[in-house]
Amino acid sequence: MRARVHGDRGWGIARVVFLALLTLFTLLPMVWMLLTSMKTQFAASQYPPEWWPRNVTFEQYFILLSPANETGREFLRYMFNSLWVSFATTVLSVMVAVPAAYAFSRFRFPGRNLLFYSVLLRNMFPAVVFLMPLFILMRWLHLVNTELSLILTYLTFGLPLSIWLLKGFYDNIPAQLEQAARIDGATRFQAFIQIVMPLSSPGIIATAIYSFILAWNEYVYALTFLNDKSKLTLPVGLQRFFTEYTTNWPGLMAASFITSVPVVVLFLVLQKYFVRALTEGAVKA
Amino acid sequence: MAEVRLVDIVKNYGAFTAVDHVSLTIADGEFVALVGPSGCGKTTSLNLVAGLIEQTAGDIFIGDRRVNGLDPKDRDIAMVFQNYALYPNKTVFKNLAFPLKMRKLPRADIDRKVRAAAKVLDIEHLLERRPRELSGGQQQRVALGRALVRDPRAFLMDEPLSNLDAKLRGQMRAELKRFHQDLHATVIYVTHDQLEAVTMADRMAVMNGGKLQQYDTPARVFSNPVNIFVAGFVGSPAMNLLYGLMEGANRVGRDGWAVELSAENAGRAARATGREVVLGARHSTIALHREHVAGAVPGRVYTVEPTGDVTFVHVRVAQTIVVVSVAPSVMLAIDDPVWLGFDQNKLHLFDGTTGDAL
Amino acid sequence: MSVSTAAREPNVFARIVRHRADYLYIAPALGVMLLVIGYPIYDTIYLSFFNTPPSLAMADKIFVGTDNYVRILTSEAFLDVTINTLIWTAFSTFFAFALGLGAALALDRQFVGRGLLRGILLIPYVISAVAAAYIWRWLYHSDFGVIGALAVASGITDRPINFLDNVDTSLPSLIVVNVWKEFSFAMIMMLAGLQTVPEQLHRAAQVDGAGVFQRFWHITMPHLKGVTLVTVLLLLVANLNSFTIPWIMTAGGPAGSSDIWITAIYQLAFERIRFGVASAYSVILFVVMMSMGYFYVRALTGKDEATPG
Repeated sequence: MRARVHGDRGWGIARVVFLALLTLFTLLPMVWMLLTSMKTQFAASQYPPEWWPRNVTFEQYFILLSPANETGREFLRYMFNSLWVSFATTVLSVMVAVPAAYAFSRFRFPGRNLLFYSVLLRNMFPAVVFLMPLFILMRWLHLVNTELSLILTYLTFGLPLSIWLLKGFYDNIPAQLEQAARIDGATRFQAFIQIVMPLSSPGIIATAIYSFILAWNEYVYALTFLNDKSKLTLPVGLQRFFTEYTTNWPGLMAASFITSVPVVVLFLVLQKYFVRALTEGAVKA
Repeated sequence: MAEVRLVDIVKNYGAFTAVDHVSLTIADGEFVALVGPSGCGKTTSLNLVAGLIEQTAGDIFIGDRRVNGLDPKDRDIAMVFQNYALYPNKTVFKNLAFPLKMRKLPRADIDRKVRAAAKVLDIEHLLERRPRELSGGQQQRVALGRALVRDPRAFLMDEPLSNLDAKLRGQMRAELKRFHQDLHATVIYVTHDQLEAVTMADRMAVMNGGKLQQYDTPARVFSNPVNIFVAGFVGSPAMNLLYGLMEGANRVGRDGWAVELSAENAGRAARATGREVVLGARHSTIALHREHVAGAVPGRVYTVEPTGDVTFVHVRVAQTIVVVSVAPSVMLAIDDPVWLGFDQNKLHLFDGTTGDAL
Repeated sequence: MSVSTAAREPNVFARIVRHRADYLYIAPALGVMLLVIGYPIYDTIYLSFFNTPPSLAMADKIFVGTDNYVRILTSEAFLDVTINTLIWTAFSTFFAFALGLGAALALDRQFVGRGLLRGILLIPYVISAVAAAYIWRWLYHSDFGVIGALAVASGITDRPINFLDNVDTSLPSLIVVNVWKEFSFAMIMMLAGLQTVPEQLHRAAQVDGAGVFQRFWHITMPHLKGVTLVTVLLLLVANLNSFTIPWIMTAGGPAGSSDIWITAIYQLAFERIRFGVASAYSVILFVVMMSMGYFYVRALTGKDEATPG
């Protein structure tokens, strides 16, 4: 008996040490990003490095976020583009995924399983493989260099998971609730809007945040479909910055930080929904 | 309130027939129970009346209106579901108000009607709560209230009591019966519990395998079951059924037991299509003797179940168990030899081949 | 006067007609998916048999049969890139899964700050891969990189290491970044899986005298089989498909030492503008992915697939 308790305590210590190391591994790179972003360019280019910035400066942040200078205007432009693309993708994803998930959950039409699993298979396809045909397609549709080309593509990234996740929610809402509503005088559509939709709102939030983060972070398609400087999204913009100001590491780190802030905040606030979005399907299987 | 009429209704799911040519008339103000084991088509029939599914063939009338193809919302019926189907995100008040809101009643009328219904059901103090904060019995009342707030032409109830505990169920049975009498409501009540049907319904429709077996008052279904299925389904404990063969003109028996039939019963047994005849006897119509009596069937006590005011004795007769009720004062031990005397006037006879009553 | 007297066993066509309204709900989803997935698959396979002009004027393409495939499969670079891809995928997946499983096990009990810690560990997973790549490029920097400086300060080396510009260290360095970015994905998947292990079983096993390790082996692991399969498959797929980190950090270099299939395809297509060959390359990758997709759907659905729709 005592031996086991002792063993458990040994595991407990190992657990704490492991978690501490893992947290350091996770955090230190980001801490270094932050520290660097608050240094001057000169201070950043020291060997050995300045472990702690001697002269803390927010100069880089002022430059990036101020519309008064060229760099700031560009960066804010990228940020606005990213926001717009991500927001549009999110809204469209929900609008497309909700009815589809509902149909897959409630209706028994022929080909339902086949269609459902082919939608899921989207997760399997490498983005880069689709790049060429989509590039050709977008050229043909005259969508190259438009945000629409990205929105359309991003839509399909989040869609399979969104449909899968929401279907799980609808499966768990008893059909009798809708039946009751229909008997109480609602049409099928009213029953859906008034009864089912509010109950699936956690799923819709999870779907939305997942789509938003995917769209915000996407790089390859934005890199390929856009070349007009004013249309770029943040990840591509970040890369452009780097090629233009190769040695300005504090600036690049500040830009990386600003780029990460919206998704990290969104994620931390809505963590449980996001985690649910990622894990729902796998755990049920 | 209105009459509800099902005319030769068929519902197929692919090759499976859930409801098989059922015709049923529920009179205005009548309480009819649809009973049967799960999968017998009773809930499907109810959903057909509600319009939640559409029949493959046949007509449904509510009042003098044929409602085939009408949406549930246009049929003017109310329904209470087994799991209550209360809207979890709405308060009790809003749950009750929902059917009125959907019918675009003025706000003042909604408020008045909801409060009136809440008063009748004694749930006024719960109006601002949400369903998950209520006990099972309270949820049940809210579900009933949602059906009551408007004046539907018929109430449809799908096993509304099956999620309650036994004590509450007994109480709600009485209340539902009272409610029906006060409102003169047309009620179609689906249950798998024959006791609910027998205690509450004016008439009961026994279903099995999608077919209507018998449609009559509980008393007549109890006393004159039309076939072996109904006999075995209605009554608790179930009717004892002895599967025998005609052994001569007035004797039924099989491996180790035999019952002499009265002249009248022998005449009925002679109508059987084959040699197989099933004897049916309710527990209360069988006399239990401690010693051999002429004409009685020998057996051994298998177990004894005292319930307080009556004791059920399970007696092993050859391969079958026969349940007999005796006064609690009768003391019996397991494996005691006993003799069972069947009351010829209350004996049911069924054709062993077709299952129909003889 | 009956409503509909459909045949007893309606054929598929009749059922489709009867359910026609249902398809409206999935039409937008299917439309988008067909446009952005169905068409590209077709087009990729089609183009893989052609020689495409650098102008991308597709009218001028020339049919070359299976030449593109032959050229890829027989080229020497293909073998190197394939080996790199295998190393990249296998090591990334292994370490991400191992760290993720360890973190999940360590987090699988209530303690103050657990939610916060889970959130912190997940940050690398939610930030943009571009930002992650630049953060690590800076950490790996050959002159001012903090890792190199730390290595010198602790006496491991006497000169800062040139992680990314060295054929021996470029691929392993990228794998570290990749593991940093995605281990927490495995962590939350496994954590969610752990939550499905019934507490009662652990109690029962404890009463039966099973130690920590035995409980893990006999109770936890069998429960995690399904989640493990899905997680590993998703990691494998994500790693086979990853582009951003290798591309931004080394772009396949130096001397192709960190080139993997995806970066090779991208270079072929968008730097050398040889869509035909790149398409053939994609189809090869595609076949690999599809065979994994088969296992993915099977793992995800389990018995569910057998239920008739």
